[in-house]
Amino acid sequence: MNKNSKQLLSKALRNDRIGEPDKAIEDRLMYAFLLKNSKDRVRQNSFSSFAGWLFSGQSFALKTVMVSMVVFFSIFNSQFTFDSGKISASDSISSRRFLVADSAHFIQLVDSLRVDSLN
Amino acid sequence: MQQIVSGDQAAFSELYLRYKGRMYYYFYRMLENSADTANDFLQELFMKLIEKPESYNPMYPFSTWLYSVANNMCKNEYRKRGIRQEYQEAEAFEPQIDYLSDSNIKHEQVVEKIFATLDSLGEEHRSAFLLRYREGFSIKEVAEILELPEGTVKSRLFYAKKLLAEKLEYLKDEIEF
Repeated sequence: MNKNSKQLLSKALRNDRIGEPDKAIEDRLMYAFLLKNSKDRVRQNSFSSFAGWLFSGQSFALKTVMVSMVVFFSIFNSQFTFDSGKISASDSISSRRFLVADSAHFIQLVDSLRVDSLN
Repeated sequence: MQQIVSGDQAAFSELYLRYKGRMYYYFYRMLENSADTANDFLQELFMKLIEKPESYNPMYPFSTWLYSVANNMCKNEYRKRGIRQEYQEAEAFEPQIDYLSDSNIKHEQVVEKIFATLDSLGEEHRSAFLLRYREGFSIKEVAEILELPEGTVKSRLFYAKKLLAEKLEYLKDEIEF
């Protein structure tokens, strides 16, 4: 096939007219487009996409790392707390009491205050 | 495409108007010259674009991507219908086309005869031929659309042209475009 024939062929195909697509398609597509976007807008304020991601198999490695970090910190955080060795039961021989500031200790009788002011 | 993803209807409308004719033609010629089927496929193609615009890879030109989606749809349809034809079968079945019966042959008839010839080669050759000569894509682009090596595309075009050359030898002196 020579170059002239190729051009002939190309021209024949490019000038080929088969008519127009159905106009109703455009209307249906525009409606579908509007419908899709309205659904997306509603979904923007929900957590469905995040929940979907969280419970899906996507980014499994990342999720595993995050969960193990949380577990690691929660275990070690409780072990290093000073209150961890606190004895809850009282013993007659040794009793450990924590000195806690209590506002009740600072209440003074009104009469004693009056006496003080007179002095 | 980013405008479409963000919900810009005007952008979608413009995109549809720009490509509807070309895609309709492609489906029409790929799917047995049926206007109804071409309309159905055109709608389905753009519905895919609406439903999953994120499936577009911005690394490729939009037209290349759109044609590759359209071509995959045609391939699936052929698979469904079970009328996939191989070149060997085409050789065994020579189409009955009367090329020289009418000396005042019209342009439309020429094109119909070209496609009647291409039908005998199967959809693989027809798609490569259409993309190259109707749509004017380069060999590289056709290869990207059809997801084939460039050598295969060249080979398919060669066979298609070879078959048509035999027919066009009669036609080219008779028709003025």
